[in-house]
Amino acid sequence: MIRELALLDVYYLVLAVRWTIALTLLALAGGSLIGLLVAAGGASHHLLPRLLALGYVGLVQGIPLLAWLFIFYFGLSIVGYDLPPLIAATVGFSVYAGAFLGEIWRGALIAIPRTQWEAGTAIGLTYIEQLRHVIIPQAVRIAIPPTVGFLVQLIKNTSLAAVIGFVELTREGQMTTAATFQPFAVYLLVAALYFSLCYPLTRYSRVLEGRRRGVR
Amino acid sequence: MAFVELKSVRKSYGSNTVLQDVDLNIEKGEIVAIIGRSGSGKSTLLRCINGLEPVQGGEVWVDGVAVHDPRANLRELRARVGIVFQSFNLFPHLTVERNITLGPTIVKGIGAAQAAVLAREALRKVGLEEKIKAYADELSGGQQQRVAIARSLAMAPSIMLFDEITSALDPELVGEVLLVLEAMAREGMTMLLVTHEMNFARRVAHRVVFMNQGKVWEQGPAKEFFAAPKTEELKGFLSAVLH
Repeated sequence: MIRELALLDVYYLVLAVRWTIALTLLALAGGSLIGLLVAAGGASHHLLPRLLALGYVGLVQGIPLLAWLFIFYFGLSIVGYDLPPLIAATVGFSVYAGAFLGEIWRGALIAIPRTQWEAGTAIGLTYIEQLRHVIIPQAVRIAIPPTVGFLVQLIKNTSLAAVIGFVELTREGQMTTAATFQPFAVYLLVAALYFSLCYPLTRYSRVLEGRRRGVR
Repeated sequence: MAFVELKSVRKSYGSNTVLQDVDLNIEKGEIVAIIGRSGSGKSTLLRCINGLEPVQGGEVWVDGVAVHDPRANLRELRARVGIVFQSFNLFPHLTVERNITLGPTIVKGIGAAQAAVLAREALRKVGLEEKIKAYADELSGGQQQRVAIARSLAMAPSIMLFDEITSALDPELVGEVLLVLEAMAREGMTMLLVTHEMNFARRVAHRVVFMNQGKVWEQGPAKEFFAAPKTEELKGFLSAVLH
């Protein structure tokens, strides 16, 4: 039953943005937890954590995000774990974001010169105190622009959750298209909504890059 | 027992021996300059004294603390042994004041207000009180190095180690840093400095140590040391650097 594209459809599309944002934030939270472990492991002086972090990143980055989503949604339901789309998507995106954030943050950590650790040691700071007062504050400044940049990727990639039936912006667009048969207008609107989320973040990331030059 | 005592200290990185059988005593209030070619082990020797580098053999005693012992309380030791590096190593994300108060507040548990007083005092000693709110990248190399000295001084160390602290400076900035060292020398600070400033060593140091091939090759009171070197190696080195 095909109907006209109504103002109500536009309203529903705008509302669906909430779920795109929600999934992004959930993935960011889960991905941050995993990413912290990956960064700490990857920057560690010990071999085992480094290998584990390296293996995790290699595995995740070597498999398409879509495949991960299928694994957590369809794969797990076959072995008896029937995850609702939101949970499956959150897990899948967290696994994915964890690898990328971990790599970004590991890079920021090892970018701090060894002499900064040494200066901390020399005034008697412990390893943890050096991390907290000397290393992490500097690493965060380095990591923020690429982290915001990755966030933009994450927002756009949440559109993949549409294929496991999670109703975010893209899935809402598909459903609206099916009902109105106005793909051009609908997807143009979907694109505009993604753009309005991503573009300000991209700009902000650029501003941060510029500000970072003084490393303060 | 001397304030600092090194007994048959051996240090190596893999098969590369950097220090072998180094014996050295430093008395309280003494100013000792260490000279030698690059790669002769001078900086490593300095770093072994505050435990930045573990030794593979021998003993390192500083103010009664066995630094060579893996169980030594290095945190407590480092509060008493200041070290200043060639590359300043200020914390670029913190103000000059916070650079200086970090150690006293965290390591010694001194309150913020009192630490601020310490910072001001330390900065006055290096002549940079007006830079207390500045960041490292707003300072010249010489000023950064003076702040690094103040950062060490604020811990009220009983000995200061200086690792080629003027080597990374433009020639016109060396003087201001050496002036600070001279002022500290007058106040009776125990100092051990690795340096290429021969004139400074001759004028300020009580004793000069020449390191060669990872060993203490020759040492003596500053005047005699430069006037009448005994070994061929030291004669060669001095003629190369003094020409």
